Amino acid sequence: MSTHPDTGRGADPRRRGIAGWFDPRGRRLGGWAFALNRLSGLGVLLYLYLHLVILSTLASGAGAWNDFVALASSPVVLAFDVVLLAGLLLHGLNGLRVTLMGFGLVTGHRNAMIVALVLIAALVALGGAARIFGMV
Amino acid sequence: MDARTAPQVVIVGGGGTGGALAHDLALRGIRVVLVERHGLTSGTTGRHHGLFHSGARYAVNDPVSAVECIRENRILRRIAPGSFELNDGLFVALDDEDMAYRERFLPACEAAGIPVRWLTGPEARRCEPGLPDGIPGAAQVPDGTMDALRLPLRFFATALANGADIRPWTEVTGVTGSAGCVTGVRVVDRPTGRTSEIGADIVVIAAGPWAGIVGRLAGVDVSVRPSPGVLVAMRGRACNMVLNRLHASGDGDIVVPQRGLSIIGTSSWLADDPDDLGVPEDHVARMLAEGTRLLPALRDREIRAAWSAARPLIGDRGASSGRALSRTFKCFDHAVDDGVEGVVTIAGGKATTLRGMAETAADVVVRKLGLEAPCRTAETVLLPHTAFHRPAEAA
Amino acid sequence: MTTTVDPAVRAAGAATRVLRVTRTPRGAGGDGGGGDLARQHGRRGRSDGFEVPAGSARTTVLDALTWARTHLDPTLDVRHACYHASCGTCGVRTDGRAVLACVTRLADLPEGDITVEPLRNQALISDLVVDIEALYEGFDAVGMPLVRESRTVPGSRPAPGVEGLTRFEDCIECGLCVSVCPIEASDAAYEGPAVLAAAWRVVEEPRHADPERAFALVDGDQGAWRCHLATECTEVCPSGALPAEGIMHLRRGLLRHRFRVAFARLRVGANGAGEPGGTP
Repeated sequence: MSTHPDTGRGADPRRRGIAGWFDPRGRRLGGWAFALNRLSGLGVLLYLYLHLVILSTLASGAGAWNDFVALASSPVVLAFDVVLLAGLLLHGLNGLRVTLMGFGLVTGHRNAMIVALVLIAALVALGGAARIFGMV
Repeated sequence: MDARTAPQVVIVGGGGTGGALAHDLALRGIRVVLVERHGLTSGTTGRHHGLFHSGARYAVNDPVSAVECIRENRILRRIAPGSFELNDGLFVALDDEDMAYRERFLPACEAAGIPVRWLTGPEARRCEPGLPDGIPGAAQVPDGTMDALRLPLRFFATALANGADIRPWTEVTGVTGSAGCVTGVRVVDRPTGRTSEIGADIVVIAAGPWAGIVGRLAGVDVSVRPSPGVLVAMRGRACNMVLNRLHASGDGDIVVPQRGLSIIGTSSWLADDPDDLGVPEDHVARMLAEGTRLLPALRDREIRAAWSAARPLIGDRGASSGRALSRTFKCFDHAVDDGVEGVVTIAGGKATTLRGMAETAADVVVRKLGLEAPCRTAETVLLPHTAFHRPAEAA
Repeated sequence: MTTTVDPAVRAAGAATRVLRVTRTPRGAGGDGGGGDLARQHGRRGRSDGFEVPAGSARTTVLDALTWARTHLDPTLDVRHACYHASCGTCGVRTDGRAVLACVTRLADLPEGDITVEPLRNQALISDLVVDIEALYEGFDAVGMPLVRESRTVPGSRPAPGVEGLTRFEDCIECGLCVSVCPIEASDAAYEGPAVLAAAWRVVEEPRHADPERAFALVDGDQGAWRCHLATECTEVCPSGALPAEGIMHLRRGLLRHRFRVAFARLRVGANGAGEPGGTP
């Protein structure tokens, strides 16, 4: 509807593509949640890939796996685990919010929902961090 | 008329007058080029409070204008349906003096053909609960609200669809031709800086309070002085009907509802530069004081905006030499006034009478061109304002 | 980057602010070709500084811009008409935020120089003037009536002889929502929050327009389903037109619409008009 074939009218050459998702100026809570959802989605996707790669080390035998487990117990990797947990929580809860709103089931309390989900994610992630680091 | 041999008229000024004139001339088969230095309706037209006149405001002191207004009111409802808030208006009496004015007001409306009905205080407050307690009553008339941009834009859209060349961001820098005979205008396309010339059989100056400045560029004397007034928009829609004070016109005696806003107007003073009007703070205070007398609830509302708009006040020279085709506006044929062929000026008028003004001006233009072409704008329903931006292929 | 100053203003010692306005290059004299391309492709024009008087608490960004145009640089292009947030023509970005210049007071903006840029996601005509043609094409296609019959003043009644109360729609076609929408930023084909909100208004209150047609227009990959609920549109709307909510209502309406159509088809099939639906 908005791109004329001959003149290209409507297609704004100044559009910045994906970079437009992350311009901080003038952004409100909803815009940050949007950007965060994309980042966490990419992050979780990256994790999934890594996860499969790591699992595939099983094929190289017990030695390779044991090496990995030793690495995985280091504080740096555990910290990444907490970040992963937070990312999963944020992405999941945000996704729930988007589903409710996106089908017009909930139309009010936009910002309240975002604040609530971030708080829940933070609490659970903190609890999770305690357990993760406690396991070592 | 063959499009190639049809005469070409250049209209300088993209306000309501220019737009309605472009539409009228285009319908008569004349080639129209309209140039406006900034955006359409960026001058006085865009800034008014949106009152869609019934003419009642003029019934007592200017019955000729009143008759014009009610006639144009009816025509606009027909040719621009869906472009108005049509909740009628009230002339509200607040005190005994207002009730005395009523004795002149009601018969004057009837004489002008303006439908008027007297409502008692309780009846009026049932329609408008925001009116003050204990008012003696109000006169109901067919006032309304128009969208100051979008109504004229319908004229521009229809003109465009009928072949007119509408060029905003195009500024006149001078005229072409020899002394005593103007043959066109010199313009600069502001975005690119590109200059060019546009030929014209007649140049019509429809630049409102800037008519004097444009006239100087054309070598003619147009004595128009800006007479601005302050308007104040309050947040929140506090009434549906236009509320006027039932007295001889004064400052701040009208509240016009528009979308989610209530607009209080207006005042009057004389300025020199139409581009530098200012917003006198005491006028803003006066608007608030008077407006809250009609609608006390406005006292608790926030000011959304306070701005000035300039009426074009036609000077004395104009009064004697310009042909007063109506009390509300004047048309100057500079061949007669200044000995310069090919230039005509139209100035004055009300937003409500834009079509009627254009008809009379177009009649003058057409007569000067030696043509027979009747006006058809009173029966032609206008395109929606969104049509102005339709791609040429789809128009 | 230059800052233009009026010596008389300086001499008067009045309070001033500096506006840093993005400009587009002008083609030289009769050429203009280079200017066109530069404008279209957003090649960074210069940023001009204008020192404007700011003594009054009421002075708005639009007042400042037109003052600069009158007193400092007549070539500055800025669009305006109503001066009271009803026409929607003066949208700009101040310090990165999309606003209507006519109701944004200098006094309410943070200290220091004020950056003024054109709105995003719409082609640029000149300086701060964007091309609203694409936006209007969408509005034209949807055909939302300008006048509505709901949300008039509560408690009021039509005067004798008046059929029903009417008022103008909230949406003033300003394009601020288009400027802030992250999907608009990355995808020119997206119908956008303004047009979608207009379609919702047609469905919610058809008047003489056709709600089915509005549904059909927005039921697509680039329509109501393309929105990802950043809700920046509703946050920025100066008129309370609630575009984000409109899109969500559209989706719910579209779902119901689709269910209805699907069930109607099933019912037709079950009534034996076609093949048997399955073995009993």
